[in-house]
Amino acid sequence: MSVVAQTPIGTGLTWRSLARHRSARTIVGCAAVALFLVAWQIVGANEIIRSDLISYPSEVAETLISMTASGELGGNLAVSLEEFVQGFVPAIGIGVAAGIAFALSRRLHYLFEPLIVALNTSPIIAFVPIVVVWFGVGTQSKAIMVFLAAVIPIVINTMTGITQVHESWIRACRAFGASKFEVIVKAMLPGALPSVMVGVRLAVGRAIVGLIAAEMYVSVHGIGRLIQVYSTSERAAEIFVLVAVVATFGFLLVTLLRRLESLIAPWSLER
Amino acid sequence: MGRLDLEHLSLAYAQRGGTFLALSAVNLSIRDGEFVTIVGPSGCGKSTLLMLIAALLQPTSGAVRLDGRVVTAPGPDRALVFQDFALLPWRTVLANVELGLELKGVPAQKRSEIARRHIAMVGLGAFERSYPHQLSGGMRQRVGIARALAVEPQVLLMDEPFGALDAQIRQVMGSELLRIWERGRKTILFVTHDIDESIYLADRIIVMSASPGRVIADIAVTLQRPRPLEIRNDPAFTAYRQRIWDLLQQEVLASNSWEQSAAEPAAAMPAGAAT
Repeated sequence: MSVVAQTPIGTGLTWRSLARHRSARTIVGCAAVALFLVAWQIVGANEIIRSDLISYPSEVAETLISMTASGELGGNLAVSLEEFVQGFVPAIGIGVAAGIAFALSRRLHYLFEPLIVALNTSPIIAFVPIVVVWFGVGTQSKAIMVFLAAVIPIVINTMTGITQVHESWIRACRAFGASKFEVIVKAMLPGALPSVMVGVRLAVGRAIVGLIAAEMYVSVHGIGRLIQVYSTSERAAEIFVLVAVVATFGFLLVTLLRRLESLIAPWSLER
Repeated sequence: MGRLDLEHLSLAYAQRGGTFLALSAVNLSIRDGEFVTIVGPSGCGKSTLLMLIAALLQPTSGAVRLDGRVVTAPGPDRALVFQDFALLPWRTVLANVELGLELKGVPAQKRSEIARRHIAMVGLGAFERSYPHQLSGGMRQRVGIARALAVEPQVLLMDEPFGALDAQIRQVMGSELLRIWERGRKTILFVTHDIDESIYLADRIIVMSASPGRVIADIAVTLQRPRPLEIRNDPAFTAYRQRIWDLLQQEVLASNSWEQSAAEPAAAMPAGAAT
């Protein structure tokens, strides 16, 4: 709609106009996805490639409907969501608190930095077996995995945010007689908020990986459990449904966090 | 009131191979309501002097007295206006101006009332809800000035407040500042490296020299007030300009030479003010 109106006559849809028009970008993006789906449908439905290996969109859609109708999807999704929340919420609280402490205390920083770097660079799913041994096959071990995966990027980005707070913001507060505590509350925390939000967004992806990996390893319920079950029975359509559900969840959560950020820290976008 | 006495104020930094004397035995008395400008080459310690008065830095020796009391800690009785504005980007104009009042413990209702009055005074009434990144440099510094005046300080300390602005905006801001000052006649200590600015604004000009920073002249300005912008072409104004330029010429040439700038510490603004 607005694309047509805003594009000068004769120039058509160029890359430059794409960069300018948000709605045009969305339309082109959707068109690419649609093209892909059509191609997939043709290749899969006509058995150009074995459909039990790659399935095809209409079969995936039917499977989504039947899995939803049977309650299989909803029940397992509820379990996964619960595990996610149980791990992610404490990860934000503890991660932010630890990040602040590490940024403000040189001693704590020196003490914990090697551990954080080690955890940050090691694949978190390697911890699944030991976490299961410690916390059992139930939801607790999954929440712990979510926590472990999420807490590291939150700690690191909170630390970075605090240490990169502009000297001038601190100076302004001090000049008007702010105490050390007031400097933290009025300059450091709000100044670090955009960086904290970056950490939380990064943590979403990592937490989902930790959760699904833990559920796939051993569990009774959950999306990861279903993926594992259907992979042994070679059911491509079901696996695609489950992957799509996980991807949608991650996408929605990150989008929500971006919205939240533009509400609580509108300045960070144009600093 | 707002009488400032600087008594034998010195500041030395530890440095590789000895100490660097940033300020040497500065004695200065500023009367209540006086508009004093401090002019000098970069590195002469003029900003450091303000930081000492604000008590964001502690002197090596000597003391700062405000109305007779020795100043030991930062406080709203001496409000600073910074060259880099130092506004909090996550706060609206209104909330930025409220900062000092918050720290002073003024209740919320009273706070926004006082802040609004000062925002209107600097001509930003329509921008209360704007964020600093939405404002021009000149507007941002108006916010900085409103924030400083809102706490009703005895002394206003201005550290090259218009240094980051274009030449034209700078002149306009100068005359605006005079207009505001004429209303309340608060004591103002205004640091600048712009000789014209120092004459245009001042009742009295303190000329400083570098390494070590010290006062080399104390000049009373007898130009009539209010001062139009064109006063810069007045023969009396030109005479002041010539006199200060003569005083500073040696200094400026010296501090601009290669050897001198290599020997000088990079931070005229002490790093200690940061943390």
